[in-house]
Amino acid sequence: MNIETLKDKYLELQQKLHPDILHLLQQWKALQEKYAAQSFEYSVRGKTVRQELTGISLSGTKIPKVLLPQYKDWGDIVKWQLQENIPGSFPYTAGVFEMKRQNEDPTRMFAGEGSPERTNKRFHYVSADQPAKRLSTAFDSVTLYGEDPDRRPDIYGKIGNAGVSIATVDDAKKLYCGFNLCDPATSVSMTINGPAPIILAFFLNAAIDQQCEKWIAENDQSLWEKVDNIKAQKYTQQPAPIYNGALPAGNNGLGLRLLGLSGDEVLPPDIYTTIKANVLQQVRGTVQADILKEDQAQNTCIFSTEFALKLMGDVQEYFINNNIRNFYSVSISGYHIAEAGANPITQLAFTLANGFTYVEYYLSRGMHIDDFAPNFSFFFSNGMDPEYAVIGRVARRIWAKAIKHKYKGNERSQKLKYHIQTSGRSLHAQEIDFNDIRTTLQALYAIYDNCNSLHTNAYDEAITTPTEESVRRAMAIQLIINRELGTAKTENFIQGSFAIEALTDLVEEAVLMEFDRLNDRGGVLGAMERMYQRNKIQEESLHYESLKHSGELPVVGVNTFLAKSGSPTIIPGEVIRSTIEEKEEQVNNIIAFHKRNEAIAAKKLSRLKEVAANKGNIFMELMETVKYCSLGQITHALYEAGGQYRRNM
Amino acid sequence: MSQKIRIVTATSLFDGHDAAINIMRRILQSKGVEVIHLGHNRSAHEIVECAIEEDATAVAITSYQGGHIEFFKYIKELLDKNGASHIKIFGGGGGTILPKEIEELHKYGITRIYSPDDGRKMGLEGMIEDVIMLCANGHTHNGKIKEPAKGKYPLGEAHNIKHLAQAITSAEGKSNTTDDIPLNTAGNKSVVIGITGTGGAGKSSVTDEIVRRYLAAFSDKTIAVISVDPSKKKTGGALLGDRIRMNAISHPRAYMRSLATREDNTALSSVAQQAIALCKNEGYDCIILESAGVGQSDVSIVDHCDVSIYVMTPEYGAASQLEKINMLDYADIIVINKFDKPGAEDALMDVRKQYKRNHQLFTAKDEDLPVLGVCANKFNDEGINHLFDLLSNKINDKLQIACPSKIAGSVKKEAIKKSSIIPDSRIRYLSEISETIRNYNNWVNEQSTIATQLYQLNGSITILNKTPEK
Repeated sequence: MNIETLKDKYLELQQKLHPDILHLLQQWKALQEKYAAQSFEYSVRGKTVRQELTGISLSGTKIPKVLLPQYKDWGDIVKWQLQENIPGSFPYTAGVFEMKRQNEDPTRMFAGEGSPERTNKRFHYVSADQPAKRLSTAFDSVTLYGEDPDRRPDIYGKIGNAGVSIATVDDAKKLYCGFNLCDPATSVSMTINGPAPIILAFFLNAAIDQQCEKWIAENDQSLWEKVDNIKAQKYTQQPAPIYNGALPAGNNGLGLRLLGLSGDEVLPPDIYTTIKANVLQQVRGTVQADILKEDQAQNTCIFSTEFALKLMGDVQEYFINNNIRNFYSVSISGYHIAEAGANPITQLAFTLANGFTYVEYYLSRGMHIDDFAPNFSFFFSNGMDPEYAVIGRVARRIWAKAIKHKYKGNERSQKLKYHIQTSGRSLHAQEIDFNDIRTTLQALYAIYDNCNSLHTNAYDEAITTPTEESVRRAMAIQLIINRELGTAKTENFIQGSFAIEALTDLVEEAVLMEFDRLNDRGGVLGAMERMYQRNKIQEESLHYESLKHSGELPVVGVNTFLAKSGSPTIIPGEVIRSTIEEKEEQVNNIIAFHKRNEAIAAKKLSRLKEVAANKGNIFMELMETVKYCSLGQITHALYEAGGQYRRNM
Repeated sequence: MSQKIRIVTATSLFDGHDAAINIMRRILQSKGVEVIHLGHNRSAHEIVECAIEEDATAVAITSYQGGHIEFFKYIKELLDKNGASHIKIFGGGGGTILPKEIEELHKYGITRIYSPDDGRKMGLEGMIEDVIMLCANGHTHNGKIKEPAKGKYPLGEAHNIKHLAQAITSAEGKSNTTDDIPLNTAGNKSVVIGITGTGGAGKSSVTDEIVRRYLAAFSDKTIAVISVDPSKKKTGGALLGDRIRMNAISHPRAYMRSLATREDNTALSSVAQQAIALCKNEGYDCIILESAGVGQSDVSIVDHCDVSIYVMTPEYGAASQLEKINMLDYADIIVINKFDKPGAEDALMDVRKQYKRNHQLFTAKDEDLPVLGVCANKFNDEGINHLFDLLSNKINDKLQIACPSKIAGSVKKEAIKKSSIIPDSRIRYLSEISETIRNYNNWVNEQSTIATQLYQLNGSITILNKTPEK
């Protein structure tokens, strides 16, 4: 065989190579050089950021932040770029951003207890001295199920327990007062699902009224007199609502001067409209609002599934029409699926499948993929299983491939961003000190996997509401990994590991197989009707429990390595509960709210029902309804318009 | 024979943690208890109303969301206030209920709250055996019916639900004895609607939707539902699960009773007829008898009712299967539920054909046949509105009584347009996605193989080029 034959063969084969692939090969050298340099520049939201590409260890070793493979074989180079690639490039296996954001640890500040005032104080406490205010809100179960505080004992006992009680727009204003909700450094996440659209409308109105206040202060101080006059007219029978108690340190009172009023009662319509439009484009945050996983795992559905989906679609449509781009309209959550007992593959498969179901539903309503996909975020649990090492990698890769090739979405739509919470279920009520060790390992999985935000559980969560001390330790876990651990300075530390790559392929295929199983049952909704997801989660939970019980699955300090004492279950002496005063305050506030809006509320509610009956955008109307109606009033009106959730078994 | 233990299971209000109660109810069933399962997020009023209507021995409730002191005490208060102090209260909530709180609740009269410690000491089975023992010990009313307080019925209901519930229990205790059709209901104007169909066809959802519309359409009339589910032959226990789907039934003008078939293992408990008579006697205007779908014996329902409805789904297999369904001969109305499923239109056509054959109605117009498609899981479903109208007309025809029809204005007679969240043409979206990804992966492998070969050829060419020619 002579050299010409080889050359002919070469040219023949080259014809079969896709032009994109040729391009990948041609630019490989340049890519290697780019990452071998000291630093590079890239842009975020139109701003150019210069970033160092290496760090120096104490020993003087130059530590690269992103490493590329040393492959020589073109096949390996091609495959790597098509299945792995550098962070920030399709299929985003290693991450959706080129580099991690500097000086912003993905740490959320969690609170939710008692009255809005108490939670507001706590928010100011946990975010003090932090430039970025990333507030995560937990709501009490009364709120989660869309009801108002009430003296009826079965409701009363739950007011303000394990979350904050929020029933009106006034409550939302108090909850976030002193935080400028339009500041780019503030983002708010709300863990709410069934009544999410209503709570979101509370939040957005609170944000709008804050800016109305700022507008008055900056442009027309004389309007404060008008505010006082309107309040005097409005509150003849009862005192205007107030923030109960002193403002905490760091709270400048922003959001309280229009408490009990809506900005549009004071400002001229054109100014109010402009402020509102600007606010909607600026607010940052996330509302969970994932109704599919509620039906599959967590049980806080309140509306019929179809109506709940319609509401979600209305919210998304409103986001598109008002250019709300910095707020996630849904956090598609596997966390609760995993907490209910699902293994990591099932968690990932069900969650992604739920995400694609929202995609299909929104498309069927005529929305464009690139208008809504960037408003999606994801939320996973990280436990101890090996698959958790790659859960983010597989999620990003599947999402990107499907959005690009199936739905023809743009790059922004292809990027799956997700929050991780370490697994609450993996924590045990025996030897609770060991729990921090589990959380640390799970956090390490998450950080190596380039999660976009992370919550580490406190070690005592298995037995009680975490204390300030235990929360601080949990926070320290993240900080120690991010700031002290040397290997975490490399932003693609796990890329190139044989084990990680093999696991990624295995988990990807396992997820696709689960998609096929769901498909055979009529897709996600068809499977839900047969309780397929629920049953599968239950089975996997049982499997775990039986292995734990038999000792086949070792759990240190629980079924093995027991202390001389036998490692007994720790029972908490005290549990943090809301006080009688707080409950009374919330009940009295809601009674006063109902009374002062009695006349107008009825009209607003019947208008809301009318909009629902005419298949209008319910969320657009809710933005008005919440100015005068409470959570419970609204959910009950919507039950008449869209039906209550029907339990199943 | 000692009285059957009947226990209502639920989680407390605003509490979605139903894993534990589901395990408990399964063990209760396996030990021969009849369990009326309400599922998660139930108010004290709903639980107590259910316990009284079902003449339950006890309620068993889990509470993991706090507020348990108030919740359990309120249950006890409601039971006491409504003449039902004999109903026992069991509960649990893992570590969320502190030992001193358990003590407080026991002192207040809650029968037993189980702690994690109890769980470890007794085991799950042990705890359930304890519940059963405590239930058996103090079983109370022995079929003797206490008189209601003058002019006031429990929980402000329209009729005496407690009286009725206990009377049905007495009838159950004496089943098999035929001499005991207790009441003469001749001349009674109550209407009895029978609903039957295959398991999983959505009978209870259809029933619930009828109840909801009935209560809305007639502000002065009352309705009772008798729902029959099979007992397990092996254990004697039963899962009476229809109530879990019912959203409309917790209402002062509505009553519901779940019956297990017990020894008499047919679709209809022999007590059903007596239960209907007792409901009539108590004054309920409309009575729905819902029977378990167990194959051929379900025709017996037509003997018990004035109007009968057969509920099925589009998923029955080949059209010839329809020839085997007796109810297509006997039912007054045939409902194809889950009409948003693929193949629903075909099913409607097939069933109409079969109906025409069975009734020798070869020239009848399709839309005049009492065969219709519905989606009971949809709110305010047009199909169910149509069904309710049809039902009202049938009742008028059969009984010559004025039952106002048309609750939803004019419902068009033609087949209802189906609407679903995911369009039919997109229903295979998940497989399309997995196919897209597999195709991509295959393409990557192909291209990378070519790239490797090119790399190898390139290497060879380079080496050969460097070799001096001979």
